[in-house]
Amino acid sequence: MQLSRRGFIKLTGAGLAASSLGALGFGPAGEAMAAAVRPFKLVAATETRNTCTYCSVACGILIYSMGDRAKNARSNIIHIEGDPDHPVNRGTLCPKGAGLLDVVHAPTRLKTPRYRAPGASEFKEVSWEFALGRIARLMKDDRDKNFIDKNKAGTTVNRWTTTGMLAASASSSETAYLTWKVARSLGMVVFDNQARV
Amino acid sequence: MRQGEIASKGKWTGNPTGGVKAPEPILLPDPSRRFADTAARLETLASGHPMEEWLRFMSRLSEAQHAAARDLPLPPATDPIDVKLAIDARMPPLAADGHRRPPEWRDILVHILDEDGLTGATAALSDAAARLKSLDADGVELLANRFLHGEVASEDAAAVLFLAAALQVYFTRMAANLKSPDLRLLTQRGLCPCCGSTPVAGTITASGDNPGTRYLHCSLCSTAWNHVRTVCITCGESRSVSLEGIEGDAGVVRAETCKDCSTYAKMIYLAKDTKADPFADDLASLGLDFLVAEVGWSRHAPNPLLLSASAG
Repeated sequence: MQLSRRGFIKLTGAGLAASSLGALGFGPAGEAMAAAVRPFKLVAATETRNTCTYCSVACGILIYSMGDRAKNARSNIIHIEGDPDHPVNRGTLCPKGAGLLDVVHAPTRLKTPRYRAPGASEFKEVSWEFALGRIARLMKDDRDKNFIDKNKAGTTVNRWTTTGMLAASASSSETAYLTWKVARSLGMVVFDNQARV
Repeated sequence: MRQGEIASKGKWTGNPTGGVKAPEPILLPDPSRRFADTAARLETLASGHPMEEWLRFMSRLSEAQHAAARDLPLPPATDPIDVKLAIDARMPPLAADGHRRPPEWRDILVHILDEDGLTGATAALSDAAARLKSLDADGVELLANRFLHGEVASEDAAAVLFLAAALQVYFTRMAANLKSPDLRLLTQRGLCPCCGSTPVAGTITASGDNPGTRYLHCSLCSTAWNHVRTVCITCGESRSVSLEGIEGDAGVVRAETCKDCSTYAKMIYLAKDTKADPFADDLASLGLDFLVAEVGWSRHAPNPLLLSASAG
């Protein structure tokens, strides 16, 4: 049997006879250790990198969840902290970022689209299909009514100034590119990214 | 400042980065504390531990290492030109398998073997010590070379423990003599930037300028180097890394497993125990190794003071 200081090894109670521990005459200590841990089981946690949802500083965060992302297990987020390896924040978070765990578990957190009909006093849950259809309808009506295709001098301008868009802060470059394409192709000029909170 | 008020014209004197800065990439060891800290921590962990006898012996071995590091003259430093050449080539300047050791390193071995009451703990230990003492210089060098860049036969395991302990002292003192601003991390981030060895474990810091930073601790020269967290230190993948711990314990030591290469490495969370020492806590948490090995994970590399047969 060969031993090496490099290479993968499996440290098992049964394999200790051939290890330094066995060779030194401390085999019984290893057996006692193996017996002591036998009643215990392992519990898995996962650290996941992500970006804070709040502002365009885009601080890196580490999200801890129970479970090892196995398909049949439900993960539960237990802790969120600043990512010490992220060049933007080096592990630090502002008070809002430090409270992210409460955002994740907030009972008032929005999980479905909600709609308050004109004149109604309360919001009610609606389907995504309804919500997106409603938004598209209102945007189309407003654009048809207020679209400016030519200015006073007769030059083509294709402006839609009566509806604006405020886009998300934690967007990737790809998301930002697509957002820009969508907004500008409609002629929308009132358009900003949430770069300040 | 209220809105509409006029801004101050004075020169701003704050810290432009708000105190947020990059962590030190490489922390060179301090030989005057490295072995004493491990000895003290092992002594603390030993009380009431199932492996108390062995941990107390390992603590005495660390004390012997400390005494050797304290009492013996410093080995001659590596030629600065060789150090520069190695660093420019992104190679470890004290490469464990290429570095030429001066004969003085063997004095460390003799010093450790002569430590009072160290080798008498078991019959196997006194046999191994007697055998090492009877070997001539060539015999010791041969065994040291086998340990550093090859494989040792299991019948040599007890003798190699003392050799490994002596080489740890030698390489730790050599690494402490390097200048850290010159050093660079290797492209293989899981290996020591000073000697190219595998780490013994990682620590997640809880204090200093960058709490939460991960440092890996070299199994040979005790250098600590920064490694991005939540990335497997063996294969560099991050998609299937998770942490395994023993249910209900304090969560100080956890095994970071990676499904891509089926290995794990132990991580020590200093926030859970600020006194934890990677070299001591790795040995004392052998129970965690047993549990994760049972599920099928292989350890990324052995602790040189606890060599074991390879995973095949």
